[in-house]
Amino acid sequence: MSEQLIISVSREYGSGGHEIAQKLAEYYKLPMFDHNLLDEVAASMNVSSKELAEFDEMRRNKFLYRSVMGMNSSPADNVARMQFDYIKKKAEAGESFVIVGRCSEIVLKDNPNLISIFILGDREAKIERVMRIYKLDARHAEERMIEKDRRRKSYHNSHCKVKWGDSRNYDLSINSSKLGVEETVESLKNYIDARIAHK
Amino acid sequence: MIAQILAVVIFVAMFVLIVLEVWERHVITLGCGLLTLVLVFGLGMHSMGAVWETLNLGSFFTSHFWYTAGQSAETSSGINWETIVFVAGMMIMVEGMARVGFFRWLCMRLAKMVKYKVVPLFVTFMVLSGILAMFIDSITVILFLAAVTIELSQLLKFNPVPMILAEVFCANLGGSATMCGDPPNIIIGTSLGYSFTDFLTNTGLIAGISLVVVVLYFYLVFHKELRASEAAAAGSNQNYPDPSEAITDKKGFIISTVIFLCAVALLVTHAQTGLTVSCIGVFISIVTLIAAGKDALKLIKQIDYKTLLFFIGLFMVVGGLEQTGILKVMANFIGDISNGNLMLMIAIILWVSAIASAFVDNIPFAATMIPIISSLSATQGVDLSILAWALAMGTDIGGSATPIGASANVVGIATAAKAGHMIKWGKYCKVMAPATIIVIVISMVMIYARYL
Repeated sequence: MSEQLIISVSREYGSGGHEIAQKLAEYYKLPMFDHNLLDEVAASMNVSSKELAEFDEMRRNKFLYRSVMGMNSSPADNVARMQFDYIKKKAEAGESFVIVGRCSEIVLKDNPNLISIFILGDREAKIERVMRIYKLDARHAEERMIEKDRRRKSYHNSHCKVKWGDSRNYDLSINSSKLGVEETVESLKNYIDARIAHK
Repeated sequence: MIAQILAVVIFVAMFVLIVLEVWERHVITLGCGLLTLVLVFGLGMHSMGAVWETLNLGSFFTSHFWYTAGQSAETSSGINWETIVFVAGMMIMVEGMARVGFFRWLCMRLAKMVKYKVVPLFVTFMVLSGILAMFIDSITVILFLAAVTIELSQLLKFNPVPMILAEVFCANLGGSATMCGDPPNIIIGTSLGYSFTDFLTNTGLIAGISLVVVVLYFYLVFHKELRASEAAAAGSNQNYPDPSEAITDKKGFIISTVIFLCAVALLVTHAQTGLTVSCIGVFISIVTLIAAGKDALKLIKQIDYKTLLFFIGLFMVVGGLEQTGILKVMANFIGDISNGNLMLMIAIILWVSAIASAFVDNIPFAATMIPIISSLSATQGVDLSILAWALAMGTDIGGSATPIGASANVVGIATAAKAGHMIKWGKYCKVMAPATIIVIVISMVMIYARYL
């Protein structure tokens, strides 16, 4: 692909957002970054990714850490910033990729080739998906879903001024429960193709 | 009564907002300072006099702001403009030194001197950190020292975390040795009329002895790791950086070094020459700006004006507590529980200051405590200087115990983190809290042995 294309996918837990991001990456033949982004960041610094993984997608606790001249003592904040800087560099270098989470819709907001998507889902459909994939009963699946979404929300909101899931942050918010994963992917392809054609 | 309640509420709100980082800290203190002027002095006290006393603008036009013929205690309350002018002057000088590559050159020169061997480097950088922090703010010291440590650790393949932690501790310790080393000391010195030499011969002596103990302590804690790193680095044949490459402007470098040495000489002799620290601050900043030539505007733009505004707001809020008599009540409370026992009074001031500074900013704490120890000295008839040294050591050293206690800690941790080395609370406190306790115990024993 000659033009740069960056697809940022944010998602509610159980909405199939990760699978949708994977399918989009395969279709557009783009590398996809999620947790593996940290491996790349760690490798570039010649440190163990395990040391950094502990603080991945964690919120910054204001009571336990302090900022001085824009520097912060919070490992969670520093790991987040490392990833933000890394994806910014990639974007500035003109690379195309799909990025899942990591506040990427805000970090790369100024890039004209960014398409930001938020995948949400109906509560029952998300619980059913989590039960199926992780072999959990309904209660545990719901607990897991609530906890994961709580963490994603607090991570996002502690690093960004705008709120996680607020449709005004994204180019497109879509409920994957209405059409299912496959048809949601098809709808998104149409939208992305239209955006590419519109350039 | 309303004025007192308002003053306390504003003070507590200021601390909470600083911790929560809702806004930048200078916005918080200035906002709270403004509220103090309007609500405490205006609404509560109906006193324009209190407003003027706290703003303290008249101090600029007094001769002792610039020159003191002999020792005279600064008794005025409110905004301590002497501290602000001096800090601003030092900021300009330090910016000038950084611009020409002074700090990087110094670090690299010393690394070369010890032949890039890990253990001697560890000890040298600790001592360097302590000495530099005697004259320069600890944030700048750690900003450069930690960056060079990371660079050398990548070259020599050692873990930089032990070295950075030791440097941070020594920077805080070095800051306690002089009047200009740490903001609490500048405030204590200018508010209570102590000179550079007074600090050097009192807190400086404690800091010097503590530095020897602390170097030994950190060596014992990290020696296995350091020895292993040294053995690993020995085999590698590296192209080490040339220290002179750090210098960006040779002429500017020489001028900056001369200005720095002049500043040190002026500070060391200011009790004899009668020049106040504010006068020295103005002088060194003017000389630095003249020497910078067309870069002078750049230097002025780089002044950390937010810190200066933070100080101004803070002094106004503390002025509210002072004018309403709250600090006298607190002083009487300490006097009552210590029942006139100086030993207990020192222990309370030292340990309470240390513990508080480990968790909250030591600058507002010191600014609040100064009127308290003044009042305590007056009512209990104890030597003010002894209480001042206890306060200085407590606030300066206590901040080392936790990752949030002092600005240098945050800078050190963040610099390590940028290179992928995460320092958690547990990892930090395991090493730094015992070192803090050791130095506070040394301070207490030395104060008892020397003054009681």
